[in-house]
Amino acid sequence: MAHPSKSGIRKKLLSLGLCLVGFQALWGTYMVYPRWSRNYSPVQQGKDLISGSLSADQMLFALAGFRELIAGILWVRADSFFESGNYDAILPIIRLVTFLDPHQIDVYATGMWHIGYNFTDEEQRSDRRYLPSALALGKEGSSQNSNTYELFFETAWLWYHKIDDNYDRAVGWMEKADSVADIKLLPARRNLLSRLYERNGQIDKALDHWFTVLDAAEVSYQADKERRDYSIRQNRDTIENNLDNLLIRMSQRGHFASKEGRSLDDYDVMPPFDVGFGVKVTVTAERVLRIQGNWDVLSVGTRIRCILRDADYPNAIAGGAIWDAGSDMSFEPPRDQTYMMDSLFVRNQRFDKTVDMSRDPTMYPFTKEKYLLEFYYNPRSAPHHIQDKFGWNGEGMTDKTTTNIRTDIRPGQRCFYYAIELTRDEILLRKGSRGKTVTKKSDSYRETKEDYSNTDTGKPDLPGQGGQ
Amino acid sequence: MKPIIAIAKATVGEAIRRRVLLIMLFIATILLFVAPLLGVLSQRSEQTVLTGFVLGIVQLSSAVIAITLTVYMLPNEVERRTIYTILSKPVQRYQFLLGKYLGAIAALGLMMGLMSCVTLVEFGIIQHNWGKGIELLQGIGMFFVQMSLLASVAMCLSTFIAPLVNFFLTGGIYLIGTLGYAFFDSFNKNPNAPGFSKALAWFVSTILPNFASYNVQNKLINPDSVIVDPVQYHINAVIYGVVYITIMLIGGMLIFDRREV
Repeated sequence: MAHPSKSGIRKKLLSLGLCLVGFQALWGTYMVYPRWSRNYSPVQQGKDLISGSLSADQMLFALAGFRELIAGILWVRADSFFESGNYDAILPIIRLVTFLDPHQIDVYATGMWHIGYNFTDEEQRSDRRYLPSALALGKEGSSQNSNTYELFFETAWLWYHKIDDNYDRAVGWMEKADSVADIKLLPARRNLLSRLYERNGQIDKALDHWFTVLDAAEVSYQADKERRDYSIRQNRDTIENNLDNLLIRMSQRGHFASKEGRSLDDYDVMPPFDVGFGVKVTVTAERVLRIQGNWDVLSVGTRIRCILRDADYPNAIAGGAIWDAGSDMSFEPPRDQTYMMDSLFVRNQRFDKTVDMSRDPTMYPFTKEKYLLEFYYNPRSAPHHIQDKFGWNGEGMTDKTTTNIRTDIRPGQRCFYYAIELTRDEILLRKGSRGKTVTKKSDSYRETKEDYSNTDTGKPDLPGQGGQ
Repeated sequence: MKPIIAIAKATVGEAIRRRVLLIMLFIATILLFVAPLLGVLSQRSEQTVLTGFVLGIVQLSSAVIAITLTVYMLPNEVERRTIYTILSKPVQRYQFLLGKYLGAIAALGLMMGLMSCVTLVEFGIIQHNWGKGIELLQGIGMFFVQMSLLASVAMCLSTFIAPLVNFFLTGGIYLIGTLGYAFFDSFNKNPNAPGFSKALAWFVSTILPNFASYNVQNKLINPDSVIVDPVQYHINAVIYGVVYITIMLIGGMLIFDRREV
């Protein structure tokens, strides 16, 4: 048998090589890559990935194999930026650190807080346009670190404390946090879920959860036979106290009666209280609004949410926005959009606040033609003593202008909502508004000569001291 | 087979006598010993940073050693004309190439073995954590496959490219091959990435060797990571590596066979 020729062997080797090239491509694509992507990829965020803020050169760091070390050094470096107030410089570091080492929980948590709270205008109003980025960071961080409750809790807290609306979102995140075992190391944190159920109108669930955490606290208390850990006892007593209060509130606000289909006439929430809302808005200078009004509710703890936004602000709803609705997240807020939110503090049944946006043109660019100035009051956000009258769902609240009480803007509740339309020219005092005083007011606004702009002086309108 | 083994043995001896490689190994070993001091640079636990840093040193120094070892192997033989004395004996060119390659990865294995021992000593004796040290050997084992693949690329290129150019070219391929999967993955998981970019990333990551497949540090650095079926993944990745090495060696043989020396 003749030996194959050299060129024959070469051809066979070449064919074998080409076959192997095809094989490796298929093997790599179907047998290696999917498992690598799921288990070992530095980009494990999947659909939760925050895009658009990580450059290719930053990705190069991952190559060297010193990801965790570089992430640690960078985060130490970020400390100096915090101290010097150079907040913009911190954002890329947060992005880079979380990319290099997605298990740095404190970087995610600090980053969320930083983005959500620290970008403010001259009057300390935070830039709400950053909220989607903060939430996206929480979403990414929690998906990267689903073995711990921490980032689920932090995201729930952002919804609860900072956004203070859309409580179903806060509940969803907190339920996830509560389902992770390590939350039991700090049992008091579980108590937040009951509060959130209450805010979300799920009163029976709030009660059930108080019982659940009380049982757990009791077990811990009994296990600590020598009574060395005071916090265990304190937590148990706090839960017990909160549970008692909730039961009383459920009773006094007619929750049980309502469930049984009985009339609420004999309960604290009836008859509904007329909030007597009225407002006058004056554009006193370019980008400066003076907002005066009347609100006939006992003032202690009463704050009315006030929002000035583009009429077509993305994902806006009456009195707020669906902050996690966007799909494309980045750390760069939309520079061409305006969203100002503030609280109107009520004293002696009046409010008077001047909102000066003239010193922060990047935060309030006013690039659109039409704006909405919204006034929003949600009884679920109110303190307990106000809720005792208004109820959890606003059943004890009304207004002379009945259209101001809305049942369609938040499911299952009655909220106060009033909006005034403004144009860019009116806010900037341009064109037809130049040289004029732009004033808009509701029919129910009561004029006054008193000055209510200083909230620190004057007698409070407590019962027996001139209030209702 | 005998000629291949003989050439491999000679290559190992030659490699461990090369001062430049020994110096690299020495520096890597020193770095491995000072690694625990770097823990203070991080706010995270020292153990996490130490593990990441140690694996980084092993990987980076192994890559430099693998490239330096292989890019000069064939050109030196040609330049010093020692290749004539070998090829004048009953040794085929493919046997010479295979012998050189096997010798190179054997020498690389010895050096990586030494670094593994240092790692083991560091975690076992200094950190009192033998378990972690042994666990890290799994990662270093995957690095060995990665470096064998890298050496095969350098060896294939060395059959027709000058050593200095080869050094940077292989280094570049290692860079792209390591980032290839990460880029591809990043594009894949980003719903807003343009289709063209995705296709290009797929093409590049399919054609070039994917060194990232062997970066399996996640579980070692972050023990809480959940890894699904790691054994099957390791087997798949090793098969991929062996196939790619075979391709590179076949390519090298075909080119070297026609080359005038």
